[in-house]
Amino acid sequence: MPTAPNQQAMAMLIRKLESIATLSDEERQAIKRLPVRINVLNTRQDIVRDGDKPSHCCLVLDGWVCRYKLLNEGKRQIFSFHIPGDIPDLQSLHIHTMDHSLATMTKATVAFIPHESMRELVARFPGIASIFWRDTLIDARIFREWMIGMGRRSAFERIAHLFGEMYLKLHAVALAGDYRCPMPVTQVDIADALGLTSVHVNRVLKEMRAQSLVTLRSNTLVIKAWDELLRVSEFGPTYLHLEKRAAG
Amino acid sequence: MSLRLQPVHVATGSQDTESQLVFADGLLVAVLVQLSEDHEDAAGMWFLEAGFGPVDDPAPPMFADLDKAQSWIEQRLARAA
Repeated sequence: MPTAPNQQAMAMLIRKLESIATLSDEERQAIKRLPVRINVLNTRQDIVRDGDKPSHCCLVLDGWVCRYKLLNEGKRQIFSFHIPGDIPDLQSLHIHTMDHSLATMTKATVAFIPHESMRELVARFPGIASIFWRDTLIDARIFREWMIGMGRRSAFERIAHLFGEMYLKLHAVALAGDYRCPMPVTQVDIADALGLTSVHVNRVLKEMRAQSLVTLRSNTLVIKAWDELLRVSEFGPTYLHLEKRAAG
Repeated sequence: MSLRLQPVHVATGSQDTESQLVFADGLLVAVLVQLSEDHEDAAGMWFLEAGFGPVDDPAPPMFADLDKAQSWIEQRLARAA
């Protein structure tokens, strides 16, 4: 399928970039002219695999995606969850061989942007290059926060922290509000992301419900006590470096 | 090597309390907890709540019954011996 500009797809990217930086009119127009190839994917489908050398970046338009790596005996570590507006394999522009895989967690629509077009864009617009750089720095900051979680936080704190993080990320791209957001992940996904077991995740979710902190039903997270959620997980929203923040 | 089980109740902070201490040659090597109805599909299975030495695992498994759990523990101990 050939690539072509797609304003709707690029509106998603622009919204994401504007949640962490400011774009000029000219930069916005240039992004809108990026050629893309739209793909509709099933749930639990690999988008790019460990060892691949992709020639395009993947912009998430709808659904959730995760970065992961498979270990021996089928063990899986999820590194990050991605939502519409994210380009989880942006690094493939500069690091040519994938050192992990990228897969859908739900049915998803993605836009593939040729590397060549991305390179032309950042060469012509250094401001956009800076914003992409900023995005990867924030990405690294989120990894540091996850490292603190896996090294030093309890299961309860880790899960509470993840919920706070995903709510604010979704809110920044207008996909969450009123302390309610989609959370289309299984207990096994949460366990594989946070270094827990599905047994611990199930126990913690029950405890959170008993404390009227959050409920997670039918892939919807409802945060009933936002301030308390932030307090128990020592959550400081600054690390997400969002220009517009929902709360907290 | 022979394993010996001793039933106990463990405070896991959940409904999962029915448990077995697992001893190998008199030394505690694992704590198995039976999952309660809270775990729906996994209810009744035995979870490696804690493993010691070679039985420790960062991704602790669940077992359909105590025999399977003991086989797994024996394998771990044999591999380390």
